[in-house]
Amino acid sequence: MSNEVNYGSIIKNGIFGENPVFRLALSLCPAVAVTSGVKNGFLMGVAVFFVMIMVNATVSLLRKFINPKVRIPSYMFIIATWVTVTDLVMAAYARDVYKQMGLYIMLIVAFAIVLSRAEMFASKNKLLPAIVDGAAMGMGFLLALVLLGIFRELLGKGSLWGYQILGSKPLLIMILPTGGFFAMGLMMGWLNWIDRKFFGGTGGGGGAH
Amino acid sequence: MKDMIRITVSLVAIFIAAGLIMGVTYKYTSPVRFIAEKKEKEEALKAMAPDATDPIKPAGNWISSHGKPYEYYLATSSGKPVAYISSTAGKGYSSYIAMLVSLDTDLKIKDVKILHHGETPGLGDQVEDVSFIGQFKGKNLSQIELTKDATKTEKIIAISGATISSRAVTNGVKDAVQTLVDKYGAGIKTAAQGVAK
Repeated sequence: MSNEVNYGSIIKNGIFGENPVFRLALSLCPAVAVTSGVKNGFLMGVAVFFVMIMVNATVSLLRKFINPKVRIPSYMFIIATWVTVTDLVMAAYARDVYKQMGLYIMLIVAFAIVLSRAEMFASKNKLLPAIVDGAAMGMGFLLALVLLGIFRELLGKGSLWGYQILGSKPLLIMILPTGGFFAMGLMMGWLNWIDRKFFGGTGGGGGAH
Repeated sequence: MKDMIRITVSLVAIFIAAGLIMGVTYKYTSPVRFIAEKKEKEEALKAMAPDATDPIKPAGNWISSHGKPYEYYLATSSGKPVAYISSTAGKGYSSYIAMLVSLDTDLKIKDVKILHHGETPGLGDQVEDVSFIGQFKGKNLSQIELTKDATKTEKIIAISGATISSRAVTNGVKDAVQTLVDKYGAGIKTAAQGVAK
């Protein structure tokens, strides 16, 4: 915990280096469930983005107060609170979005990525770096969902964001849950390949954490 | 011992604070949500009978063949009935498909609208396409029957690859039409035929 925090590296880490879906392989279940379309993936990503910022900020502010022996229940309760608040506010003021996403919002409570960032980053860092980390990780999650959504919707439905583009359905299996796992595996593989080939990295994808 | 108290106090404090935050949010958002939900329901009903000038009123409840209660409504224009509306649902492949059905005064289907469902994207969700759901318009009770024969346009033609979802919608609509015909159909000839069948 040095006084100088490199925000650039936190952001890069959240979006590329430790991308929640493609690198940490966390929260894969919702990533498969909601990415049958770009729109759903995007909306879910936005909700997670806000929840992660709020949770990281709260955990960071309370890090001296939370007793280490009961930190997990405390984090879970903080997460549940912000998810409930998000749910209530969306239900009242964003009806159209809520009708599409209502089922999924409450699931954010159990997202491994939110808890893992609270435990691994926010509880050890000051407020501002914690907020930046939440935003970066949330953005990484959002981008991963949108990427998966584009891939699956285009192949499965021939459309993007609900608008027909191809006029046919090349690979219907892509929008079924099975296709979600195919899409995820392929994307992970491609990103690792790109990383190794062009950036000299070692690749990743679960196991590291 | 001291540690135990400290842990308890820290947890309780967090829980109380979180409870307060959630409570205050609920207090301010729930009226907005309630009004929005009521308005949406009214708008959905209004869309089922656009020619009704009076507010659409609930007329009673009925129990469907799968044992769930649904409401039916009477739409009037200056006191005269113009449409009978009922909420209904059919048990699909992976969800209940919730719908609204409206009948005109000849007891023919005016409109069918799917409110929400959880069917397989790409297969079951095709029941929402106009090419399927539009088939119900103008049909009477005896014509609401699912067929796989694409030449029988007087009946409801099932979507290939989504037979279970097609059947769910057809059964749900049939339940609702049967109910409305039973309630309002007395004395009308087409209805008598429908009930006999």
